[in-house]
Amino acid sequence: MSAPLPEFTLLHPHDVDAALAAAKAHPEARFVAGGTDLLVNMRHGIGAPDTLISLSRIKALRRISATDDGLFIGAGVTLAELARHPVLRHYEAIRDAACVVAGPSHRNAATLGGNLCLDTRCLYYNQSDWWRHSNGYCLKYRGEICHVAPRGKRCRAAFCGDMAPALMVHGARIELATADGTRHLPLEAFYLEDGAAHLVLAPDEIVTGVYLPPNDADSARSAYTKIRIRQAIDFPLAGVALACDPVAEGLRFRLAFTGTNARPVLVDLPEALDSGANDATRDDYFNGLEKLVQRSVSPQRTTTTQPHYRRLAVAAMARRLAVGLAAGSAAGSAAG
Amino acid sequence: MSAPERPRIAGRPMPLIDGPEKVRGSAKYTADLPSEDALVGRILRAPVDHARLMSVDTAEALALEGVRAVITGADCDTPYGVIPIAMNEYPMARETIRYRGEPVAAVAAVDAATAEKALGLIRLHFKELPAVFTTREARAPDAVQLHSKKPGNLEREVHHCFGDVSAGMAEADLVREASFHCAEVNHAQMEPHAALAEYDAERDHLTLWSVSQVPFYVHLTLARCLSMDSARIRVVKPFVGGGFGSRTETLNFEIIAALLARAARGKVRLCLSREETFLTHRGRPESDVYLKIGMSKAGRITAVECEVEMAGGAYAGYGLVSILYAGALLHGIYALENVRYDGYRVYTNRPPCGAMRGHGTVDVRHAFECLLDRMARELGLDPFALRRANLLQAPMFTANDLMVNSCGLQTCLDKVEKASGWRARRGKLPPGRGLGMACSHYVSGAAKPVHWTGEPHAVVNLKLDFDGSVTVLTGAADIGQGSTTMVALAAAEILSVDMSRIRVISNDSAVTPKDNGSYSSRVTFMVGNATIRAAEALRDKLIDAAAEKLEADPADILCQGETFSVRGSQQSMLSFQEVVTAALAREGTITCKGTFSTPLKAQGGKHRGGAVGSTMGFSYAAEVVEVSVDEATGQISVDKVWAALDCGFAINPLAVEGQIEGSVWMGMGQALSEETRFVGGLAAHANLLDYRVPTAVESPDIKVFIVESIDPLGPFGAKEAGEGALSGFPPALVNAVADAIGLDSDVLPMTPDRVLEALIKARRAAARRRIA
Repeated sequence: MSAPLPEFTLLHPHDVDAALAAAKAHPEARFVAGGTDLLVNMRHGIGAPDTLISLSRIKALRRISATDDGLFIGAGVTLAELARHPVLRHYEAIRDAACVVAGPSHRNAATLGGNLCLDTRCLYYNQSDWWRHSNGYCLKYRGEICHVAPRGKRCRAAFCGDMAPALMVHGARIELATADGTRHLPLEAFYLEDGAAHLVLAPDEIVTGVYLPPNDADSARSAYTKIRIRQAIDFPLAGVALACDPVAEGLRFRLAFTGTNARPVLVDLPEALDSGANDATRDDYFNGLEKLVQRSVSPQRTTTTQPHYRRLAVAAMARRLAVGLAAGSAAGSAAG
Repeated sequence: MSAPERPRIAGRPMPLIDGPEKVRGSAKYTADLPSEDALVGRILRAPVDHARLMSVDTAEALALEGVRAVITGADCDTPYGVIPIAMNEYPMARETIRYRGEPVAAVAAVDAATAEKALGLIRLHFKELPAVFTTREARAPDAVQLHSKKPGNLEREVHHCFGDVSAGMAEADLVREASFHCAEVNHAQMEPHAALAEYDAERDHLTLWSVSQVPFYVHLTLARCLSMDSARIRVVKPFVGGGFGSRTETLNFEIIAALLARAARGKVRLCLSREETFLTHRGRPESDVYLKIGMSKAGRITAVECEVEMAGGAYAGYGLVSILYAGALLHGIYALENVRYDGYRVYTNRPPCGAMRGHGTVDVRHAFECLLDRMARELGLDPFALRRANLLQAPMFTANDLMVNSCGLQTCLDKVEKASGWRARRGKLPPGRGLGMACSHYVSGAAKPVHWTGEPHAVVNLKLDFDGSVTVLTGAADIGQGSTTMVALAAAEILSVDMSRIRVISNDSAVTPKDNGSYSSRVTFMVGNATIRAAEALRDKLIDAAAEKLEADPADILCQGETFSVRGSQQSMLSFQEVVTAALAREGTITCKGTFSTPLKAQGGKHRGGAVGSTMGFSYAAEVVEVSVDEATGQISVDKVWAALDCGFAINPLAVEGQIEGSVWMGMGQALSEETRFVGGLAAHANLLDYRVPTAVESPDIKVFIVESIDPLGPFGAKEAGEGALSGFPPALVNAVADAIGLDSDVLPMTPDRVLEALIKARRAAARRRIA
């Protein structure tokens, strides 16, 4: 049963420093931006923080700026803003991803930072307190065993954010701030393969934004798509972002996945697609890519849709994206 | 037909008259009713699937400050259930818990937090029992038994045989059989369950506001379970946000709200969460349908054998009606002489199933229309030609004695065949795209109600007063389907007055006449006819008064467009208000009554269970579905739907169109993505993220055709319009997928994972054949 939302104090700091100070003053506090993930979980009795520190009035977090060094996107930018922002013209995967998160009303509230920090999801976790109590809770919260892999000691809940893989194939770095200063990490280093602790974020640390290297019409082309039963609202059963860089040898592919592991998974394809390859060689290359994807992801029984399907479908979609991008790129069309 | 010529007001598209409030957001649904002075009610639900309940200790909860009442199964020892011979449910479990989520206790407290805290203080002592979740487990020889006197966990078995099935099969040129599995589905209506109960301790009076489709049954059940004189109870149905069958029987929370209010001697508001709404369930059961059809080379069906097994959940509910419907509605759509049906309704440790839009017929129709298509393919017949070869000719009685007075299926077939470009396009679409079709039908109300009293099926009262307004009082529950507007249109048509003169008051037992409720698509046929009769009685009185004033014979009075005149004369014309004044001068405020009863011959055969499926008239539908299938991901998209429905006569074509679209859409949900999923007995789907009703993205363009066969007994010729088009969708989709990628599917829903798995199997089988 969805219990009444627990009582909490809502703070509205106007800048990052004030937010960090508030976090220090309230050790049990949680940061909240759009609330589309956190509040749902709280209604399910997952956590009962006495204080919520809203980040929505911090102007600095809502900034998008483009320089010669690349692009900065503030963590507070909403997904709806991101989806329609012209600056993402050459970061197609990111724009694709922003367009397919949940439904329009979610995207109006949800933020980039929130999506990057999305809690991992599992059939046995995203349920009411009555449900989880009735099922003996689980390893991720209040319980001892993992219902997905009962003999395992690690939580298998899946990361299901759409934005992370799309940013990763574009080489994004994440910016984190604490009272002591800021640090930057490659986005893939922000995540750990543990469903119960999948972020390297400290409790008193805030995601302030992401940096993207420059990208223009001549550099990498990219795309994102996800497998789901319904073409709106649903979280990804599996999602794939793919970028294709023209390099001297031909085309180089970089892929990243969501919904398949406790963290988003980045895969750099070791070999490039030879721009002079004939149809049979190309086919072999893409078959190899599909097989590699099947091996690289490890979906678990965290949804009612079977892992085997998610693995096959995401690999098939990765292949389709790769074929499409290769055909669309200069090198690809040169190869005919 | 009740009106001699084509109606002038009825038959024109009319936006629902209760629409503006809904669009503005000012409509008061149960949860919106003033409740500042109400206590908060909450239900404690069983954390186990099946258990002997030894005790429920409420002392600590009762002692908590702010708690005003705590009730348990001990507070109601009277079982209830919608079918008088199958009442086996208590509002809260007494000795046995039979499904996870079953109510075991409830509290009323000053606020939600206190109520929540109190629930945590209630101690349950129980001894777990083995649980059964599938029909196979439940029917196993050593299975634990859910209910005494129900060995094998069989709630009801049905064995019906009409004609000579063996001879029919022997006569056939082609006999084929197949088994289909249809997942359990839920109504997922927009409004979660809610009830507001107020107990007046001085007078020992109880008022309940609830989300019901059947306020009359709720009224009876409250009287029964609270041991109260029904005269002391009042039941009110405010605006309701959808039902689809989820509210066609009294639900446990309605009784619990009333019990809490009485225990607390005050007012209690009980709003269920979406999860609790799902757990209350009453959806369409998981069904296994085995079907065998014999057919001549020309496609004429010579015999049918069907076996259905339904996993009905923990309590009876409508179960025996569902399993009877499944067999009865094999009939009534095609001309079938030889039909055998065996049905098994089985108890399982899951939330109880019930009635859902297309009650009883959907999964069986799915199997039937899928198998017909496969046989058509084998015989080299076009699917349309196959259906045409089996059309029944109305008027007639079916082999199981169902009355059919009108059938527009032929026209429905013609419309969708032409509009979809079937002949030119089928088999010629690009790879991965396909067209499929199917037919379906549904009853226009059960000719014999589940609660048989001998009373008329419907009563409508009219009041005409000094102000010249006409108030229609009806117990018909508008749950969004548009019955209130239908009633207003029918009254306005007969009285030949402007719609603005009509006010409809529905569903307050203190004011409106009893009505059986909104289920089995009975309201238009029965309440519509009762409204016509009430309005005719009122019109007669007005005509009498006008005749006296105009010094003419009543038979010569013409009543049209709010004026009364003598036929053939234009000289003296009286306005509606003048006639009202004259009529009231004779007797004061006028009240009239209209009733409707079904004729005996419509009430079904003499065989046991023969009343189920009996009706005044069937609606008929034909649908064509166009799909694209992505063979890499198994994803099916529905590109376009053509749906034709014979509703007899469309009293409100706009509402009929909406109902057809809604039926198609709901059928699409069951076909593509909707299903309940459990971890043992624990519902893992009980939210709108995991229970996947289609979104706007999945919703195709639907081209609707309304076919009017003018039923001789229907109001203005009308029949039902809200359910008939649902059950054709899933088979039309599956047939379209077969056309698109050559895959025959036996399982619903056709989720991408199932499609891909089936494709992989088919590819492997093809590879094996190549090697061999």
